[in-house]
Amino acid sequence: MLADSWPANATVQSSVMASTWFAFAAAAAGVAFVVLALVLYPLVRWRRRPGDAMPEPFRNNYALEIGWTAVPLLLVAGLFTYTFRAEARVDGLARHPDVVVAVSGYRWGWTFAYRGGPTIDGPSYPPAVFGERAAAPELVLPLGETTRIELSARDVNHGFWVPDFLFKRDAIAGQTTSFDLDPSKLGTFAGKCSSFCGLDHTRMLFSVRVVSPRAFIAWERGRT
Amino acid sequence: MSAAAPAFVEAPPRNDLLGWLTTTDHKRIGILYLMTSLGYFGVAGLLSLAIRTQLARPNNTFVTPHEYAQLFTLHGTAMIFLFVAPFALGLANFLIPLQIGAADMAFPRLNATSYWMFLFGGLVIFLGAATNEGAAASGWSAYPPLSEIKISTGLGQDLWIVGVFLVSVATILTSINFVTTVFIYRAPGMTMWRIPIFTWEMVATSLLVFMAFPSLAATLLLLFVDRHLGGHAFDPAYGGSPVLWQHLFWFFGHPEVYVMILPYFGVISEIIPVFSRKPIFGYTGLVLAAFAIAGLSMGVWAHHMFTTGFVNNPFFSFVSFLIAVPTGVKFFNWIATMWRGSISFETPMLFAIGFLLNFLIGGITGVMISSPPIDYQAHDSYFVVAHFHYVLGGGSLFAIFAALFFWWPKMFGRKLDESLGRWCFALLFVGFNVTFLPMHAMGILGMPRRVDSYAASGPLPALNLIATCGSYVMLAGVLLFVYNAVVTARAGRPVSNDPWGANSLEWWTSSPPPEHNFDSLPPIRSERPVYDAR
Amino acid sequence: MTIGLRLFISSATFAIGIALAYWFTSREIVGTFMLGFMAFALGFVATYMIVAEREANLIGDEREATIEDGAGELVGTYTIRSPLPLAAAAAVTAIGIGIVVSPTIAILALLATIAIGGLFIVQSR
Repeated sequence: MLADSWPANATVQSSVMASTWFAFAAAAAGVAFVVLALVLYPLVRWRRRPGDAMPEPFRNNYALEIGWTAVPLLLVAGLFTYTFRAEARVDGLARHPDVVVAVSGYRWGWTFAYRGGPTIDGPSYPPAVFGERAAAPELVLPLGETTRIELSARDVNHGFWVPDFLFKRDAIAGQTTSFDLDPSKLGTFAGKCSSFCGLDHTRMLFSVRVVSPRAFIAWERGRT
Repeated sequence: MSAAAPAFVEAPPRNDLLGWLTTTDHKRIGILYLMTSLGYFGVAGLLSLAIRTQLARPNNTFVTPHEYAQLFTLHGTAMIFLFVAPFALGLANFLIPLQIGAADMAFPRLNATSYWMFLFGGLVIFLGAATNEGAAASGWSAYPPLSEIKISTGLGQDLWIVGVFLVSVATILTSINFVTTVFIYRAPGMTMWRIPIFTWEMVATSLLVFMAFPSLAATLLLLFVDRHLGGHAFDPAYGGSPVLWQHLFWFFGHPEVYVMILPYFGVISEIIPVFSRKPIFGYTGLVLAAFAIAGLSMGVWAHHMFTTGFVNNPFFSFVSFLIAVPTGVKFFNWIATMWRGSISFETPMLFAIGFLLNFLIGGITGVMISSPPIDYQAHDSYFVVAHFHYVLGGGSLFAIFAALFFWWPKMFGRKLDESLGRWCFALLFVGFNVTFLPMHAMGILGMPRRVDSYAASGPLPALNLIATCGSYVMLAGVLLFVYNAVVTARAGRPVSNDPWGANSLEWWTSSPPPEHNFDSLPPIRSERPVYDAR
Repeated sequence: MTIGLRLFISSATFAIGIALAYWFTSREIVGTFMLGFMAFALGFVATYMIVAEREANLIGDEREATIEDGAGELVGTYTIRSPLPLAAAAAVTAIGIGIVVSPTIAILALLATIAIGGLFIVQSR
């Protein structure tokens, strides 16, 4: 059941982030295994037995101490280099995005204003019950093209989060921030508010539908 | 000038209520601090059970959304400001003068004032729950514009500001007291490189408090000015900046995490050598690592703001990664202390091992979310909730129980029951992991924090139900501890000066220590004076 | 130079370093100001300690000192009990609550706080 609902990894950017997750999870598992073994081994090997003498009181081993400072330093340097490259690919903005959408969060709903296109305004108030997504506003994106999202908030801070894109960005009141989405999979994905914004934060939902470029143009015409 | 043996204004000891209300004795203030923070822990723990009960199944109506917001706001505020941090202050109050061979803190009356301000500050925060619009409900980080008067109109938010302000001032005053005491009031021969690691960690913690807490106090004042005196520092409608709040708040908020963990690194560094029958390995390395952590933690605040798009992510990511290095050094030092030792498994050691295992997970997920491409999914999700509970719950809380079992005989002259203690550990360890391990998956699957419900389909209902069951197992563990304390008070047998075979100075004097702490002191020639004297 | 002084000097130096590193990588004013102010505050304490410590000679810093070496010197007296801390904390809390609910309470509490502060000084004599 868990595997079915794992994030769909549905944008070009999210595949970079998924690789980062896997690389870090592998490194984490390796480190955890080694350290766990190092913690558990002495507990078994040198547990106190009747008649034990007082153990030898060694206090220092400078070579060892420099070693276990240097090795983690190299490890985090490697992780940082990986991170730095991955983040540049995720946060990089295309020079000429195909679609530009101004997304604005408010208590409690979303506005998606397409530049030169339709505006979708979807209050999710009165609160929708979970599972009844029909009421939530829908953001439609073309497959394989670059969509620039210009994100802001009208009243308090919100957060634009699409778990299947492995990505969120805070919508800060009074300020605008931009990022690109390059959808790589067709389908409808759940979106939610990630930053606590008051009573109906939980129900401040939206959905993202990725369609073919042809269907996107048709949809845009139909809405304008 | 010598400060080793200050004279006392001798007065007959008073054990009645008035004696406790007017005490300036560091041991009594320490115990008051500990008991008060444990009381707040009880309340904050019950709040978390209400949260878990609401989340036991989707679309639950155990509490309303507004009540839910108050629950997690008070839970976070109380756990952080009223329990994990002040418990360390209480422990340090009790231990620092004993560990360095002093008769009391440098400023006893200031010490008592800090304690009462902490107690009242906490009460003021909870007083909000009695007002018309309820307690503060904008989260423990109180992000404006949500916490501005236009949206959070209630008195609860104001009382929250006043209460947290009082607690922050009390913390600063206590830290001044600690640093002065350690610098000036060490016994003859107790040089800085011979003070126990716990005392060192408290020096590092105090330094962090000096650097971080003034930012909190100032930020709270700014928010108050915004709310009532027409300021617009954080109000975008008038050119204010909500991002400014995040900068100022996390400039305090991240060092605060280390204020809540460094003292407990000290606790673990005291306990592991005793039950391994060896001196602490790499004393100097541990001290330097503490200061490296303290220093670096001042340069990572904006890793709480990776997803804002307004900060230099690579800088904060790099410094956050770096903190893993000194933390790793500490971990390896603890392992090396156990290496070729003679390890026994009394309750304090069990909790210390539990600390190592839980903190390992919390530390590793911490390195993961230091990477912005990972944090973009994890931030504000249950993955982060799991991460910081593994650090502060699995880490600090387990060290707190280790400290309670370890120093209880010194404080009250009676050892807590061992077999009840083992059961307490087992329940807490199992309950903790059952509660918080599934939360990693919830976060990756897309459950945001601070939500009162979730999708009824998919794996979230099952994961949440498991977590809720775990939280009730933890409740059983905590209740068993309370029962243990009651049983021990009634039927515990008096203990010797040094029931664990420990080696720092607090174990030289009687259990509990006399009002003036020491009738005699051994010569101090290493960080283990009691061992040297044996 | 005592270790305490070294601690504050190195912290202040570190703060200057990280402030510069932050400014030149981020060009962001809020963090730079905070780090710079932190450096200033730590430097202030360090400077005070340099001035105050010229005469300091703590028995606790002597590696071979014994308890007898430290005996017999009277450096001050401890007040073992005092009702003032509780009163002071209550008064300060009343200021806080007063600011929120009623200015009259705040002003009365402020006067009480000042009076208790005076009593602290009297008790110290």
